[in-house]
Amino acid sequence: MFDGAKDQTALVRMDGLHKSFGPVRVLQGLDIEMKRGDRVVVIGPSGGGKSTLLRVLMGLENINAGSISFGGQPYISVKDGKTVIDPKVRRSIGMVFQHYTLFPHLSVLQNLILAPCKVNGESASGAKERARALLTRFGLGAKADAYPNQLSGGQKQRVAIARALMLDPKLMLFDEVTSALDPELVAEVEQVMLELAAQDMPMVIVTHDMWFARNIASRVIFCAGGVVVEDGPPEQVLGSPIHERTREFINRVFHIRT
Amino acid sequence: MDYSLDLGAVTRNFGPLLEGLWVTIQLTLAANVIGLVLGFVIALLVMSRVALIRVPATAFVEFFRCTPAIVQIVWFFYCVPMLFNIYLGSMTMGIVALGLNLAAFNGEAYRAAIQSVPREHRDAAVALGLSPLQSTLHIILPTAFRLAIPVLLTNGIVIFQQSALVAIVAVPDLMYEAKSLATKTYRPIETFTIVALVYFAVSFPISQLVGWLERRRSVAMA
Repeated sequence: MFDGAKDQTALVRMDGLHKSFGPVRVLQGLDIEMKRGDRVVVIGPSGGGKSTLLRVLMGLENINAGSISFGGQPYISVKDGKTVIDPKVRRSIGMVFQHYTLFPHLSVLQNLILAPCKVNGESASGAKERARALLTRFGLGAKADAYPNQLSGGQKQRVAIARALMLDPKLMLFDEVTSALDPELVAEVEQVMLELAAQDMPMVIVTHDMWFARNIASRVIFCAGGVVVEDGPPEQVLGSPIHERTREFINRVFHIRT
Repeated sequence: MDYSLDLGAVTRNFGPLLEGLWVTIQLTLAANVIGLVLGFVIALLVMSRVALIRVPATAFVEFFRCTPAIVQIVWFFYCVPMLFNIYLGSMTMGIVALGLNLAAFNGEAYRAAIQSVPREHRDAAVALGLSPLQSTLHIILPTAFRLAIPVLLTNGIVIFQQSALVAIVAVPDLMYEAKSLATKTYRPIETFTIVALVYFAVSFPISQLVGWLERRRSVAMA
């Protein structure tokens, strides 16, 4: 169990986030408050700001205006046009990316223990023990000494999830983690995410897989044009959306799938 | 053509050729030490955000890439002593001239490799809490070195071949010994054919190694 799972106080507060890439305004005043028990799935048209939202939340992008607090502490703000990020707060957030990001020169085990040893100063033996336990839990016990190029796409993404979990994150971000996978490998990755969900790990997920969204989300946010258009439980947003724009998007997505 | 082949003229005089080959190998190894170390420094300078550092480094690289190696060597031998009143002996001058040339090409190899580390890997390093320095030391440079190895090896073997150019400024390398042997024996066909085969025999295994490394890498990066 991850602590504070039943706690209903705000885990993340995003206030008035603005982000432009040159003349393109990607986030145009985004306000989202996330509670500790929330598993948020963000859906919406491409270019609607979903991935940017995750990248901003991970502290990978500068913002033009707005602020984010995490667990009641200030995390990201803008001072004199410059983005200020608290790296200590950032360490309590983990992220898995769409493209494979295992470091190719390190074995699976070395990928897992790099950050705990270098960033947190954990002993190599202690970190290895935790890493092996985590790999075994994800059905990857036999792959500890393999190199990333010896793994399937699904295995790579499961290792990437394990690598992020090594740092005991209080929030996990998943940015289209199954989009680059062959269809038959999607399930094994989603299975691991569902397992984390069952343990009440707070997460924000960007996905195009509406079936998966319905299964894992406690809350669905429809993002378009850089703002939150609709925000509610999955039955509402995916089943009978209130807003016309959401309805149009959902109809189109489910239409393509049948 | 009234010319009967006599390989004996060359094989009987193999001693000087072997000495020449040893000089060539020394030139190649020493130039590669300069090229590998200085090239890395140049790559960092070329990527600097400070124009005062970046522009001279880029000029250095472009000068060596855009002039013939033979001109660089001749210029180095005749102009450096006159302009700066330095003369270091023909062997040292040869090593420095070849080393600077190689440093320019290796600098580009390092730069390309560093810049081809996927952005996602840098992002993942940030997401894992690594500082920019840790990310550079533990992720970017080790990945980049692996990417650069085939090009660095190729450049190194090119310098082995280019080193023949220093014969024209009297460094007693393989080519220099070959020329004097051919003159002495009147056997240019035998001498230069055998010398070509010697250069080939050294270069070919290394170029095969490069090919093997590249095939292995294309599997590794997939």
